[in-house]
Amino acid sequence: MIMNEDLANFAVDQAVHSGAGYAEARVQRDLGRTYTLKNGSPEPVTFATKLGVGVRVIVDGAMGFASTNSLNKDTVRSVTEAAVRTAKASTRLLKSPIRLSEEKAWDDHWESKMKVDVRNVSPEEKFELLFTIEKSLAQENVHVSLPSRILSLDESLTEKFYANSEGSRLHGFVPRLSLIYYITAEEPGVGFVQRFRQEAQSRGWEVVSDWNPTEIAANEAKILGRLLREGIAPPKDELDVVLGPEVTGIICHESCGHPQEADRILGREAAQAGESYIKPSMMGHRIGTEHVTIIDDPTLPNSYGFYLYDDEGVKAKARILINRGVISDFLQNRETAAEFGRKSNGASRCSSYDREPIIRMGNTYMKPGDHSLEELIEGVQHGIYMKNFMEWNIDDRRYNQRYVGLEAYMIEKGEITTPVRNPILEITTPGLYGSVSAVGKQMEFSGATCGKGEPMQAAPVWTGGPAIRLQNIRLGG
Amino acid sequence: MDPHNALHEILLSAKRSGIQSTAAGFERTNNRMVRFSNNSVTVTNSWFSETPTIYLVSDKRRAACSVEEQSLDGLRKAVEELATTMRLTPPGDVEFSFPKGPFRYQSVAGTFDAKIPQAETELIDAVESAVNGSRKEGATRASGVVTTQTRERYVLTSDGAEGSDQNTEIAMTIRAFADDDSSGQGIALATNLRNFNPEEAGRTAGRIAKLARNPQQGEAGKYQVVFGPSILANLLDRVCDSVSAYSVDLGLSFFQGMLNQKVASDCVTLVDNARLENSPGSTALDDEGYPTQENYLVREGVLETFLHTSYTAAKQKATLTGSASFEAGFGGMAPAPHNVLLSPGYDSLEDLIDQAHNGLYVTNNWYTRFQNYRTGDFSTIIRDGAFRIANGKLAEPVKGLRLSDNMTRIIQSITALSKERRWIKWWEVDTPTLTPFALAESVGITTANK
Repeated sequence: MIMNEDLANFAVDQAVHSGAGYAEARVQRDLGRTYTLKNGSPEPVTFATKLGVGVRVIVDGAMGFASTNSLNKDTVRSVTEAAVRTAKASTRLLKSPIRLSEEKAWDDHWESKMKVDVRNVSPEEKFELLFTIEKSLAQENVHVSLPSRILSLDESLTEKFYANSEGSRLHGFVPRLSLIYYITAEEPGVGFVQRFRQEAQSRGWEVVSDWNPTEIAANEAKILGRLLREGIAPPKDELDVVLGPEVTGIICHESCGHPQEADRILGREAAQAGESYIKPSMMGHRIGTEHVTIIDDPTLPNSYGFYLYDDEGVKAKARILINRGVISDFLQNRETAAEFGRKSNGASRCSSYDREPIIRMGNTYMKPGDHSLEELIEGVQHGIYMKNFMEWNIDDRRYNQRYVGLEAYMIEKGEITTPVRNPILEITTPGLYGSVSAVGKQMEFSGATCGKGEPMQAAPVWTGGPAIRLQNIRLGG
Repeated sequence: MDPHNALHEILLSAKRSGIQSTAAGFERTNNRMVRFSNNSVTVTNSWFSETPTIYLVSDKRRAACSVEEQSLDGLRKAVEELATTMRLTPPGDVEFSFPKGPFRYQSVAGTFDAKIPQAETELIDAVESAVNGSRKEGATRASGVVTTQTRERYVLTSDGAEGSDQNTEIAMTIRAFADDDSSGQGIALATNLRNFNPEEAGRTAGRIAKLARNPQQGEAGKYQVVFGPSILANLLDRVCDSVSAYSVDLGLSFFQGMLNQKVASDCVTLVDNARLENSPGSTALDDEGYPTQENYLVREGVLETFLHTSYTAAKQKATLTGSASFEAGFGGMAPAPHNVLLSPGYDSLEDLIDQAHNGLYVTNNWYTRFQNYRTGDFSTIIRDGAFRIANGKLAEPVKGLRLSDNMTRIIQSITALSKERRWIKWWEVDTPTLTPFALAESVGITTANK
């Protein structure tokens, strides 16, 4: 465990002594290591260590945050005083005092366990995994030229100790392992397609055997070749669309998780990540069909977005954001919860010791239904199956979004037929959720890194769900 | 921690570990930030950090590390662990070393203001000026951020390069709203307090927000598009990603195989200049200790150079560009631009709108994503004020638009640039970029279908 718990307690005491009505401090160490193979050649092994203390205070209703990686009492005292001093100075531009919801103080230890500690696995073994995947991508095996192949294994270990002036003392530990493939396929005279895929969990090295990366990468490469050779332009007429779990996951993240972050709803992220089409009064508003239930749950064991206490010391739990098509909850931290007159639901996260905690998702997914993939497709007379995607984006109110399919096929009379190149689903949020006519029963999750905040904070998350079917869609582009 | 002691310890430890070439870095930062939304301060931030960095090269192997253990003993262990791990990894594809020093570095004037590290209440004042400026122009509320950065940087390599510099920067982004659907952005960026004008940033944001009131849903199609500096800077940021020789090496550049070829229209001359006085990204040396220089990336439409590190230069048999930038994660050391400058043209904004005749004027964007980095197919969301151009004049504001096109096609279709240029750096633009307004032909615009 981290050696510097006393510094966090010291910072809290110093802040209160300096006039803070509330104070919290976090000592956090992040150890990151990346192993990369580029076209069969090793890229630099990189280690990134971050260790420091961050302190957040409320003084006369104003919030201040300060951090340092100089872990001595003099510097910690100095930055704590800076947090108090600058917060106090800002009160003249404070419209109303910042308050925090009342929450229980916890004294606990939480972690995601590793069966096989990644630190005990040699660099040779890690590169061996990458070389095995590389070998499976040989042209004679996948029958397509792959001029660019980037394979990257990223491991991180996060330890944190959190203390606040209300008596919380929390120790947390999360190991994460992520495997990325970025493959470019080329067919002379046709062009290029690219595929990015990330497997990620909060587990130890044992997770690698579950991923089956060699078979998946080779299979994906073969599909890229088929797309290039046989892919046709997407149809322009109205049709039904079956989306694979990877697409369902990104949709849930982008057009449900983000717009239902309470800080966006209140305008706190307006200049950067934006606001939300959702207003506070829209709680209980129908946004989709009764098939749509979307949940954010950071407590899923071994998930990439795993945590059991958030970075304000609030116990984490599952949040049902959309329940049978109706907006049913927002992601809250203690500040927004106080504004909404309720308790926090534990959605406050920070990416490292030097970032203030802000509202983030954990693992966002659509609740499974009762259809197999075959049943979803059998129900389509004329449509497409968009299994995964590359390009996507959404406006900063989270209303107008676009997903461009990568692996995609025509569906004719209930059967998958010809590959389709770059089908574009460009649709509004209510248009999308209002078109869901059936939901699959087989869940899948993808690892992702969500960006928000200024300075930017990258948060590991899972996006997931089953395949879903949308009716009466017109593809764009 | 004393930077010089730290750097020498890194080199000594690496030598003891049998490493052939080492680049040691040390960065001390002292940054402050005030964030605000709905005309009210939401949080103040202060950061102080000291970060040694290590980049080792030996027998075609490379390894890199950032360290936050604040002791010489911690540094020694970090070097030893990194060297041990590096030896256990297979060799890479190129043998190279760092540029042979010593070098005589010439500092760039106007990159440091001693008042910036001390500025605290000045940041609150800046927020007040910017918010008031936006309201004077018709905005009802504003959000944003003002940041000061003070950075000392030290570099020492085993190949004889040794140097340091220090920089300051003050930056504001303000987004003003006249109602829920109408917003505008303003940016102020300077290396000193004297040249920093937050009120004008606020006024710019407020003017755009007011003009953008009551927007109508726009229509999909091909348009003559006048790009404002913020959106153009974002697109240029992505162009510079593709000018990185490392992107080329990774197969993630839409300029691959296009060196010395026409990649943009004649009016496009794009420069990366780390030597520009009073400019936020200027610096005397890169992170491999090589002196910085002015690099013509695209001259009159022709791709003239990629940006290099020692690794990419050795692999692609190119000359160094003073662009090496330490990355704590993927890659270790990668090329990066310092100040991106798009040469100005001869027109006013009004001239460009007149030349567009019928089209769109877009001020800002966000969320740029590629379908394919190799081909440059991408889309990005039009954000803040966007306006239809009818008969050479600004017409009604529009919303709900997405730019969906190809990056090289867009820069090949630029037909005119404005005389006026503005500095842009914000959440969506990493590198300080000085850019004019631009007119481009037949730009793809799409909208939601349901």
